[in-house]
Amino acid sequence: MIACVAVVGHQNNPLYLQSFTGADDALKLHHIVHCSLDVIDERVNNPKRSVITLNESYLGLLYPTESYKVYGYLSNTKVKFLVVTTDLDVKDTDIRSFFRRFHAAYVDAVSNPFHVPGKKIISRIFAARVSGIVKAFAPGTYG
Amino acid sequence: MANYLAQFQAIKNTSDRLVVAVEDVSDLWPSVKEGLEKRLPLKKASLNNKTRNPVYVENLQAEFILTTDSRLRSRFPQEQYLFWFREPYATIVLVSCEDLDEFKTILKPRLKLIVQNEEREWFIVFVSKAHPNNDQATKNAKKVYARLEVDFNTRKRERCCKLDLNGVDASFWEDFDFKIVESIRNTLDRRAQFYEEEIRKMSEQRLMPVWNFCNFFILKESLAFMFEMAHLHEDSLREYDELELCYIETVSTPGKQRDFGGLEHGDDQAALLKPGFKPLSQIVQDDSFREFEFRQYLFARQVKLLFRLGRPLEVVMRGYSFIISFSKTLALHENTLPFCLREVWVISACLAIISSTSSTYDGLAAPDNEKEFYRLHGDLYSLCRIKFMRLAYLIGYGVEIEKSPVNSASLSMLPWPKPSIWPAVPEDASAKVLAKEKLILQANPRMKHFNIQRKQLPLEPSSLLREANRRRASLSVGNLSELIDYRQIDGSGIDGHQKFSPSTTNSMSRTYSGPNLESSLSLDRPMRISEVHVAAEHALENTVTDPDLLKSLSSLEEFEQKYMELTKGAADNYHHSWWKRHGVALDGEIAALCFKHGNYDLAAKSYEKVCALYAGEGWQDLLAEVLPNLAECQKILNDQAGYLSSCVRLLSLEDGLFLAKERQAFQLEVVRLAHSEMKHPVPLDVSSLITFSGNPGPPLQLCDGDPGTLPVTVWSGFPDDITLESLSLTLTNTLNTDEGVKTIKSSDAHILKPGRNVIKLDVPPQKPGSYVLGVLTGQIGNLRFRSHNFSKGGPQDNDDFMSYEKPTRPVLKVLKPRTLVDISAAVSSALLMNELQWLGLIVKPIDYSLKGSLLSIDTGPGLMIDESHTIDINEYAKTMEDKVHAHDSNTITENNTHPLEPKQLYIENGKIALPDWASDTSTTLWFPVHAIDDRMARAASADSPHRQNMVDGMRTIALKLEFGAFRNQIFERTIAVHFTDPFYVTTRVANKCNDGTLLLQATIHSQVKATLCLYDAWLDLQAGFVHVRKENGRPVSSFFPLVISPSSTAGILFSICIDNMAIAADQNEVVQAESILNVMYGISGDRSNGAHSPTSLKLGSSDKLFFKVAIALQRPILDPCIAVGFVPFSSNCLRVGQLINMKWRVERLKDLEASPSSSCKDEVLYEVDANPEIWMIAGRTMGHALLSNARGSRTEITVTCMPLVSGHVRPPQLGLPAMDDANISCNPPGPHLVCVLPPTLSSSYCIPA
Repeated sequence: MIACVAVVGHQNNPLYLQSFTGADDALKLHHIVHCSLDVIDERVNNPKRSVITLNESYLGLLYPTESYKVYGYLSNTKVKFLVVTTDLDVKDTDIRSFFRRFHAAYVDAVSNPFHVPGKKIISRIFAARVSGIVKAFAPGTYG
Repeated sequence: MANYLAQFQAIKNTSDRLVVAVEDVSDLWPSVKEGLEKRLPLKKASLNNKTRNPVYVENLQAEFILTTDSRLRSRFPQEQYLFWFREPYATIVLVSCEDLDEFKTILKPRLKLIVQNEEREWFIVFVSKAHPNNDQATKNAKKVYARLEVDFNTRKRERCCKLDLNGVDASFWEDFDFKIVESIRNTLDRRAQFYEEEIRKMSEQRLMPVWNFCNFFILKESLAFMFEMAHLHEDSLREYDELELCYIETVSTPGKQRDFGGLEHGDDQAALLKPGFKPLSQIVQDDSFREFEFRQYLFARQVKLLFRLGRPLEVVMRGYSFIISFSKTLALHENTLPFCLREVWVISACLAIISSTSSTYDGLAAPDNEKEFYRLHGDLYSLCRIKFMRLAYLIGYGVEIEKSPVNSASLSMLPWPKPSIWPAVPEDASAKVLAKEKLILQANPRMKHFNIQRKQLPLEPSSLLREANRRRASLSVGNLSELIDYRQIDGSGIDGHQKFSPSTTNSMSRTYSGPNLESSLSLDRPMRISEVHVAAEHALENTVTDPDLLKSLSSLEEFEQKYMELTKGAADNYHHSWWKRHGVALDGEIAALCFKHGNYDLAAKSYEKVCALYAGEGWQDLLAEVLPNLAECQKILNDQAGYLSSCVRLLSLEDGLFLAKERQAFQLEVVRLAHSEMKHPVPLDVSSLITFSGNPGPPLQLCDGDPGTLPVTVWSGFPDDITLESLSLTLTNTLNTDEGVKTIKSSDAHILKPGRNVIKLDVPPQKPGSYVLGVLTGQIGNLRFRSHNFSKGGPQDNDDFMSYEKPTRPVLKVLKPRTLVDISAAVSSALLMNELQWLGLIVKPIDYSLKGSLLSIDTGPGLMIDESHTIDINEYAKTMEDKVHAHDSNTITENNTHPLEPKQLYIENGKIALPDWASDTSTTLWFPVHAIDDRMARAASADSPHRQNMVDGMRTIALKLEFGAFRNQIFERTIAVHFTDPFYVTTRVANKCNDGTLLLQATIHSQVKATLCLYDAWLDLQAGFVHVRKENGRPVSSFFPLVISPSSTAGILFSICIDNMAIAADQNEVVQAESILNVMYGISGDRSNGAHSPTSLKLGSSDKLFFKVAIALQRPILDPCIAVGFVPFSSNCLRVGQLINMKWRVERLKDLEASPSSSCKDEVLYEVDANPEIWMIAGRTMGHALLSNARGSRTEITVTCMPLVSGHVRPPQLGLPAMDDANISCNPPGPHLVCVLPPTLSSSYCIPA
């Protein structure tokens, strides 16, 4: 299950964060997403170390712990997309496809002329679309 | 084969180095032993690794063992084969022989026997005992050795070397080393090949039923062990890696149900670094090993090799992933394992890896590796910390764990342990249960500062109570209703649903604390939370064997100490790595504990770090969680500056993060502190809370020197109105940065409403330029605050932390100094002197309002304003228009477009207030002025028309206009006004009749731009002249009125004659020295053109004006007494520097008896007048010359002089001061010039010396 999706700006500022746990515990997801930026930073700053080459947006699994996983995706404009999932075995292709959809939704949201770049995304349509993508996400759904 | 495991283990333990066998044929060992063993360990050995690539190994350990030694003798052939790795890798045959025959017959066959075993790698060391001095012996030895070489060396390989006991050749040892290494290498290659072949064969059977992992393991580990002995650790490690993979594959194949292990005492402590923790034979199970022990064994072997390879980083890396993956494996077998073994094992594993590597890491590796190393250590600490917290939570310390996002993220998504049966409450545990109960009760959930009430973040994935009860043996799964029923029976009446929400565990626990605790211990009813804790604690005590861990869980203090240690470890290591955020987040946890223990200073420091991180990246949700804690610390520490700044930061967080009530509490704190007595008033940066911007639209434009009022929009982020004692803003000149900033202040107190406020600030006069807003400063009580933040016309935006660009839009433009108003005279032509005249001034505002302006008029000498009259004012443009109209037709010149405009003004104290209607239009002001000139006008001779000097008629009027909003602008100008007489008169004698009658013509030249009308003119003659026929001196009366157009002339003739009689008669009277021409005239002119009739001032008065001109009449020089004649120079030309005599001849033309004034009758006073710049007079310039009174007497006056300049110059003149000019006739009559040449060139100066 996807616990949380987040968009983080190029200055590591949160642009969008939505929890899907249902409980009133978004703060811990804030913490998880924020800490995951460490991993992204490390990968971006140390391209030698990172397994995934940087010309690919998908950063892969950032943060395996016993209880959840964080996947990351980095756009060309250094906007980070993160997904926290409690599913411990998720196929890479599923996540990739999820990120592509998520990125597309983001691009559409920020293309809105009324959106101020670098500011939080408050579009309800974006939120609805992301919820849709999250709901549609189930391992093996996308190929 | 598995039976050999124990033996295999024993062999591994005993043999740790390569064995080289020594076949001592000739009993030489005792004598060579020392020399040979000195060569060990082999300094440098070139071996081949598994892929047959050469590898240089240093300090290769080996051991020489005689073939007669029991260790080599007592092996069965099969054993040898199985544990081949321990067999000798080389055989040295020690031989000595000095007799060739003996060699041939005895030694050679024996040697052949020894070396016939193909499996062995051997070489022969021929030891020569011959003394170097003993030639025969040496010779024999050489012969034998030569024979030996022939017999045993092959073309491919030399197997012999010679050792001289007396005098060792250095090359021997090199040769010896080479041969040993060569042998070892060959053996190693062969054996590796053998093992590989065997392993390959065995691997092929892997899927068959005969497959036995133990056999495979023995083979594989033998190979690995062999490599390890040969110092080929890399290869050895690879073997273990393959072994691990193969094992995992074996284990994961479905089918056989195997014991997992981990049930023995001490298994809770990870054996990751202890390969010999348990003998392998103990963990063997069927054809394989127990996973729990075996995988740890394999990992321990790997770690050992990694340490040998000097790769602590890899140890940590592999360690962490091993722990994670093994923890998962443990989770799969959790129902068979002791309670919480998984958690305990992870804790001990992490600590073991940390302690083993932190000491070995030398820190000399690349910085990248170092950071990675620290990161992994941080991860290990963090993992350990999480598991430790989980254990603590289970035994009831959860109430004391900070419910922070960090802890919640780690714990709330971590599943509970899943034992098959949840541990039950032990017997006689009521005291413990009570103690837990007390702990829970006493744990007072800390009220956050400012009364912030937040739902606490969960630390548990699901309710522990439910989980524990669900997993109990006696209760069925999901018996929630039972629990509720029970509680209702128990009499607590609190809604069950609420009690079961994770965050209300504490309150729920309170409901359980009944007085009849003893009786509630029953197996069949659900456990209470305190019982769950006691049960868990009891179970853990059985699981945990590590006394340190037990101690750490024994009491809250011990727990907190360990918790602190782990948290600090994680944070410190993260700080050294790339993962700063992890470190800082954990700093927050350290701070929370410090706070709890009253160590507020440390807590504040750590909280500050955390806040700085969250604020820096805009994670406001997280910041909102930590910042109140920081504020509380600061308040306790009495750090007013910090506390205020925290309050401001709290206020400036996003709206949704705090309730209105809480935000009001923040504001109250700020206001309270601001109005309290602060020892050191602190400046406060409220940039995030109060923002400001100029008003939208074009900037305020001010003229140079003008003050103004600048409206500024100030956004207040305070939830309530806030009173500012003062407010000021700085303005920065964008054009001229040298000037620094100007501060403008708003004097009065303001109350800022939440949101947008418009505040007007007075701007004192500024220098020209455009200004942008700088910093907003102000005071709340004793608190000085400042804000640097610009809002962009919208509400203050919290995401602005990254847009620091200042708006360059200027709010104020002060224009360069320019003329704002112009005052000029309306009329350029002359006005009438000595008459009341309208002086027109055009006041012309140049795009600037003159509202309220004051005009001061200061007249110069000879001019005065008639204050009894009003001043006319009218529109300038209209005046012009009117004029045009007036020319076109005779329509009314005044129209009433401004009926209310006052057209009449009064002058008060020399000042005139301009009317408002005139503030934006050009107006003409008409003043009544009176120019005074006491001098009488004089007529000039027509021969030398000497016009009246313009300067005489010039009058000045100094004007000073004070205007602008505060009459701050001053315009000063002095205007010259030209006054003149209406006309000037020239006279000439038109004709001289023989009877002495003179026709005097007076020509009247009009000097004004107005039509003059002469009504009358008469001449009052001076003494000595009389009118002919004794008339009254008027011309023909029908001649008048005479109209003189502007700039034209008119003439009047008077006939007069010289009154010879009068001369004597007038002697005693005051005689009229000059004749006066009286003219009565009128003037008709427009004041907008120039001179005009002053009658318009006094209505009803006569419009006839009176003008007098003095005319100097000279008696004709027809009757001179003395004639002075200039005697021409003797030479034609004068030269500069030439002395000349200047002569005048003076002749008396008339007798002077009648003249009574002449006291000295026979002499005349003379005076020579010369310009001293032109002439140098030698001698007297004044004196008396003899001249008799008789008519015709003459004399000559000579003056020597020298011209000083060349050119046409006026010569000195001779004057007779005693005589009236009228009686002197001069020749030449007027001034004349003489020519003076430059001095002659003097050549004498040019002669060369």
